Amino acid sequence: MALEAGKARTILALTAPAYLWLALTVFLPLAVMLYFSFLTVTPLGGRVAEFTLTNYTDFFTKRIYWFNAWRSLEMGFYVTALCLLFAYPAAFFLAKWIAGRWREAIFLLIILPFWSNALVRTFSWTMVLREPVGLLFTYPAILIGLVHAYLPYAILTIYVSLQAIDDRLIEAATSLGASPRQTFARVILPLSMPGVLSAVFLIFVPVIGSFMEPRILGGKNAIMLGPIIEGEFVSAFNWPLGSALSFVMLAIVLLALIAGSPLLKRYADLA
Amino acid sequence: MSKVTVDSVSKFYGAVAALDHVSLTFEDGEFFGLLGPSGSGKTTLLRMIAGFVAPDTGSVSFDGERVDTVPVQKRGIGMVFQNYALFPHLSVADNIAFGLSVRSAPRAEIDRRVGEMLELVQLPGKGGRKPRELSGGQQQRVALARALITQPKVLLLDEPLGALDRRLRQEMQVELRQIQRRLAITTIFVTHDQEEALTLSDRIAIINDGKIAQVGAPQEIYEAPDSVFTAQFLGDANVLRGQPSGTRLTLADGSRIETNGPNAGIAIVRPEKIRIERGHRPPTGNGLQGVVAQAVYSGASVTYRLAVPATGDTPFLAFAQNQSGGVIAPGEPVTVSWETAQTIVVKP
Amino acid sequence: MTRDGARVWGAGLYLGLMLAFLYLPIVVMIVMAFNRSPLYELPFVFDLVWFKALATNDRLLQASFNSLWIALVTAAIATVLGMLAAYAFARYEFRAKRTLQVLLFPPITIPWLIVGTSMLVFFFWTGIGRGLHAILLGHVALALPYVIVVIGARFQAVDASLEEAALTAGASPWQAFTRITLPLLAPGLIAAALFAFAVSFDQFVISYFLAPPGVSTLPVEIYSAIRKGFTPEINAVSALIILLSMGLMLIVARFYKFGGER
Repeated sequence: MALEAGKARTILALTAPAYLWLALTVFLPLAVMLYFSFLTVTPLGGRVAEFTLTNYTDFFTKRIYWFNAWRSLEMGFYVTALCLLFAYPAAFFLAKWIAGRWREAIFLLIILPFWSNALVRTFSWTMVLREPVGLLFTYPAILIGLVHAYLPYAILTIYVSLQAIDDRLIEAATSLGASPRQTFARVILPLSMPGVLSAVFLIFVPVIGSFMEPRILGGKNAIMLGPIIEGEFVSAFNWPLGSALSFVMLAIVLLALIAGSPLLKRYADLA
Repeated sequence: MSKVTVDSVSKFYGAVAALDHVSLTFEDGEFFGLLGPSGSGKTTLLRMIAGFVAPDTGSVSFDGERVDTVPVQKRGIGMVFQNYALFPHLSVADNIAFGLSVRSAPRAEIDRRVGEMLELVQLPGKGGRKPRELSGGQQQRVALARALITQPKVLLLDEPLGALDRRLRQEMQVELRQIQRRLAITTIFVTHDQEEALTLSDRIAIINDGKIAQVGAPQEIYEAPDSVFTAQFLGDANVLRGQPSGTRLTLADGSRIETNGPNAGIAIVRPEKIRIERGHRPPTGNGLQGVVAQAVYSGASVTYRLAVPATGDTPFLAFAQNQSGGVIAPGEPVTVSWETAQTIVVKP
Repeated sequence: MTRDGARVWGAGLYLGLMLAFLYLPIVVMIVMAFNRSPLYELPFVFDLVWFKALATNDRLLQASFNSLWIALVTAAIATVLGMLAAYAFARYEFRAKRTLQVLLFPPITIPWLIVGTSMLVFFFWTGIGRGLHAILLGHVALALPYVIVVIGARFQAVDASLEEAALTAGASPWQAFTRITLPLLAPGLIAAALFAFAVSFDQFVISYFLAPPGVSTLPVEIYSAIRKGFTPEINAVSALIILLSMGLMLIVARFYKFGGER
């Protein structure tokens, strides 16, 4: 039918530009980088490369790689945990105990730094953490910088899901005899899980992949997987190794997502 | 003003037929109602005439010329949507003028015609307002004016009065009909409200499950339904089933009924055609005996639900005009009687 | 104090502390930008010397200019491309829709480090090479998912029946789009464009990998300066950026409140 064929063409014309762009800049590059990860040397400038698995096996055999991958994971856990710990009360107070103009104003104030330049924000921490505070170029510095960067994110997602909880549900629970603690544990907390889970995924993944904050705030102590990968590309020109390590990082991220997906499924219909 | 014909049109969504080989002719200048329950296909048919839906079989024609391949904006129709679909960012005047302004009509003519339209729908002076400042009834009139300004060949209305409260709806029904008569424009409207269809239409088509159940003038369909579905969809009906024998119908308890023609075992009689008397006595014409189960007093009339052995567990309905102010109480025995001519033979 | 009063007081205190933590480094940096000492030593002496030095720092100025025009072009391209795709998602149902929507996730969930390195690899391998054009390619890709989501949300306010009504009144599909859809979509388009601008202007990671020697964007310049042992002009420009992006966000928030709701 004339209308149907035209419809397919229209849809194609509408979505093609955006998705071709993404194919060229995201999907194809990833495929090519995967190819690179199996080569011995960077195949540019006249060099001939051969197929090898050493880039991947090196990850497991050389301590510097797997140890720092572990450090990245560890940092991911700490940052996520701290963000959740501090963000949940803030989101809760905003959603349930404060109202009106105050709420909007505070919410806006919390989100604002989030929208400023991440690099500049990280840089600003160097001012605070240097002498006489003396924390610059230490592990805690990286931690502080990352928590500072992602805290608003956690507050935002948790706030949104808390706000969506109908107050009448809480009233119903209270009318049935639940104490405030029980109401929180059995009604509020479960219903806010979509927001908590969003926060976890939106924080954990970027933290694992971060390299700017570790470099700036950690200096030489910054050795996590991110800076190592950056080094392979920028300093060592060992792109195959960098590519392989990138995909290892990607695999770690995917594993984390898969590990968390049962939780996601359980709370998905609440989202 | 145009005659619209749909010829054996169908629309399939997967294995489901929203419309199944439907053929209808909408005469020039008539006010035609498409009536049916939700999901019956009536809106699909309307949108097919408008051009939003392409028929999988058959054709749509205006004045004998096929329009299936003509895009919506070139069909020369006017349409009023269920939610009015007024453009929120334009004023009332700009909303109404829209059809003319997309044709690049001169400013002076636009202003004049918009003024005429505002008069026609009785909203003079409201041109500068925004849609959200108007009440539901007023918005509806703006939607109508917008549809009519381009002098369309066909006016299509998709449940236009659904969102209005009862009183407003009745007022709007009268106005709508007046305007339509004045302009003599072929109008097709969709509704699930049978009272509305009855009062407004020159002719009605009852649609069920993608097929036409019956077509005809309101009085015709109401007084002579041809199926149990139609009889029960348009008004109320008591269904009498039994053993057929020519024009006689023998019911479950042995009572004999005369039908208005040779029957196939089913007939209906409408509650308002029934006379109800206290006590059990031999009926005149067709009649049955029973007991009042419930009496609902609604001021001008009383609705009786009766337990009648002849119809088994299904309550027998009778409407009585409130002539004497008295109500027969539940538990009392009664005799109901009605004319043979009102015992209508229907197909299953 | 009533129970509710105590609650609000406690909540206010906690939130106040949190805000203090969030703004501490920012405030310190802005203050130090106005301090005469090049080594951030106290006592604090108000001076605009570093802002003046900024005005003559050609390298930084060039980088700022690059960042600016790249952000503008990114916003334009991403908004147009994103609007088309969002329109398809809002008005049509088709089998590939779910897949396409899922494909919007990788650019934002994959760590930007990996997106950056893979672009570097691919661009070199295919001869596209590094440079401002490459940075532009990358920025639009990052902005697209956000733009599509923001405009998609705005489509809720533009019901399909409005476009249908325009068609029945005789408007061509193009007229219906430009006179009805576009004006109603406008708040969403503006928000999306601002979003894309912000994403691009602040973008560091991708730009870092795709910037050739000698040519770069502002964040990349700032980073090199930090790594080398910075000049205080970096402080000044950082303070400016922070104030600018926060100011922009305030404007967006205001705009959304007054213009976006219908």
